[in-house]
Amino acid sequence: MNERNERIFGVACTFRKPADVFHAAEKVRDAGWTRWDVHTPFPIHGMDQAMGLPRSKVPRLTLLGGVTGFITGCLLTWYMNSYDYPLIVGGKPYWSAIFPFPVLYECTILFAAFGTFFGQFILNRLPHHHHPLFELPNFARVSDDTFMVVLEAHDPKFHVDDSRNFLQSLGGQEITVIRD
Amino acid sequence: MSDSSSNLSSKWTTILSFGVIALVAAWALAFLGLGQHDHRPALSVLLGCLFWTSLLIGMLMLTMITRVFDAGWAPVIRRNWEFMIGALPVVLLLGVVPLAFLPDFRHLLWEWTDLKHILPSGHEVGHDPILQAKEWFLNEKFFLVRISLYVVFFSVLTWAMRNWSFKQDTDRTASHTHTLHAFSAAGIPLGAVALTMLAFDCLMALSYHWFSTMYGVWFFALSIRLALAATVILTYRLSNGGWLDGILNQAHRHVLGCLMLAFTVFWAYISFSQYFLIYTANIPEETFWYNIREFNPVTGLKSDWWGVSMYLIFGFFLLPFLALLFYRSKIVPKRLLTIAVIIFIGGIVDLWFNAVPRQIVDKTAPEGFTVSPFLCGGLATDLLAIAGFGAIVIGLFLRSATKAETIPVHDPRILESINYHE
Repeated sequence: MNERNERIFGVACTFRKPADVFHAAEKVRDAGWTRWDVHTPFPIHGMDQAMGLPRSKVPRLTLLGGVTGFITGCLLTWYMNSYDYPLIVGGKPYWSAIFPFPVLYECTILFAAFGTFFGQFILNRLPHHHHPLFELPNFARVSDDTFMVVLEAHDPKFHVDDSRNFLQSLGGQEITVIRD
Repeated sequence: MSDSSSNLSSKWTTILSFGVIALVAAWALAFLGLGQHDHRPALSVLLGCLFWTSLLIGMLMLTMITRVFDAGWAPVIRRNWEFMIGALPVVLLLGVVPLAFLPDFRHLLWEWTDLKHILPSGHEVGHDPILQAKEWFLNEKFFLVRISLYVVFFSVLTWAMRNWSFKQDTDRTASHTHTLHAFSAAGIPLGAVALTMLAFDCLMALSYHWFSTMYGVWFFALSIRLALAATVILTYRLSNGGWLDGILNQAHRHVLGCLMLAFTVFWAYISFSQYFLIYTANIPEETFWYNIREFNPVTGLKSDWWGVSMYLIFGFFLLPFLALLFYRSKIVPKRLLTIAVIIFIGGIVDLWFNAVPRQIVDKTAPEGFTVSPFLCGGLATDLLAIAGFGAIVIGLFLRSATKAETIPVHDPRILESINYHE
C-alpha cells in the first residue's frame, strides 16, 4: 500500500434508534468536536442543536445577492434610459424609482437566487464527485434503518484508537475506520 | 385554568365598559358633526369600525386557512383567533351598519347616495353620467342589501368556526375537525368575495368616481398583516402571565414572524402594483385619487398626505421588511413585539391614507375643491373610535375565553402544536 491509501478519513459508528444517535450527538458536541457529522434516514427535529450547529450562512449571501441585484437594476435602467440613450416613454421621467421598479425587483430576486444557489454550492464545497464514506459497505443503510456518527480525521481531537473507544462509550454498534 | 389567566378574563367587564363609553363618545361627536354637516367625526366611527373589521376578517381568514391546510403549529394560537372573531358581527353592527342605515350619515359619508349632493364641478350627483353608468350597483337599496349580507355572512362563518371548535372541548369528537375543514374550504373563497365587496362598498365607494380592481386584495393583505401583528402582540401578553404562559415557544414566534414577513412583502406588492398601473396608464379618472393624496390643489405643493404616503413606504413596508429578514427578529420576543407594534400602527396610517382624503367643495379654490387635511382634530376622534372598538373587541375576547378552554385540549393536533419545532 502506498501512503495515500493509508490516509484515514475518520471513524464511523452506527446506531439503531434516533434517540441513541441524538444523545450520542450531544455527547460528541459536549466533548468539543468540530469536524464530524451525523447521517440519518430522515430529518430528526432538534438535531441541529444536539450537534451544536450554528445557523447557516447562506441567508447572508442571499441578502448580498439581493442588494447587488437591486443596485445592478438601478444602474442598468439608469444607464440605458437616462444616460446612454435618453428616451421619453409615456411622458415619464428619464429615470425615477417608479417606472423601472419591476426591473429592480426582478433583478433583486434573480441575484438573491444566485446568491442562495451559488452560496450554498460554495459553502457545501460542491461539486464533490466522490466522498470516502461511499466506500463504506453499510453506508447505504443510513438511508434506510441505520443512524451514523462520523468523526473526521482533520478534527484536532482525532486519534484513531481514542476516537474508536469514545464511540464505543457512546453505545455505537459497528465501528469502522474509513480510509481516504 | 391557572389563576393568572382567570384574573385576565375577569377584567372583561371593565374593558368592555371602557370600550362602550369611548364608542358612545365617538358616536356623540359624529351626531354633533351631523348638525354642522361635517363628515369627519362620522368618518372616525367608520375608520374605527373598519380597522377592527379588517383585523378580525384577517383572523377569520387565518383561522380558515390553517384549518384547510391542517397546520400542525396552529391549534394553540388559533383558539385565540376563535375567541377574537366572535366580535366581528358586533363591530359591524356598532359601526358600518348604523352609518349605512341612518340616511343622514349615509349621505354624509357616501356622497353618491345623496342625489342632491353638489359636486366640485357644480353638478348634482344625480346628474353625474359616471354615477348613472354605475347605478345598477351603486344604488341605495342594493348597497343596504349588501351591507346586511356582510353582517349575515360573517356572523354565520364566525359562529361556525367557533361552535364546532368549542364543542370539541367537551364532546372530544375528532370529526368536528373535518366539519371545520369543510366549512373553511367553502369559507375561504366566499370570504374572499365578501371582504372584497366590503372593501369596495365601505372604502372605495367613499370616492365613487375612482375604481381599482386591486382594492379587495389590498384590503385582504392589510387584514392579514393587522391580524398577524395583533396575534404577536396578544400572544406576547398571553405568554407573560396569561394562558399561553409556558406554551408559546420559539417556533410559534418564528412561524408568526415568517408570515408577517411574507404578508409585508405581499402588501407592498399589491399597494405598489395599484399605484404603478395607475401611474403608467395615466388616465385622469384614476390618477385624481393619487393626486389628492400628494398635492394641495390650491397651491400645487406637496401636501401632508405626501408625508403619509412616504411613511407607508418606509415605515410600513421597508422598516418591517428589513427587520424581519433577520432570523433573530423573528424569535426574540421583544424584537418581534416591536415589529408587530410598528405594523399595527402602520395599519391605522394605511387606513387613514385610503379613507380620509376627499374632495371638499370650495368655490373659492381654483379647482373648485380642497382636500381634507391629515393633521386635524379628526385624528383625535379617529383614535377615540379605534380605542373604543378595540376595547369592545378585547372585552368580548376575554369574555369568550371564559366560555371555552383557552387551549383546544381535544384538538387532534394539539400535541403537535404544543411540541411544534422549527
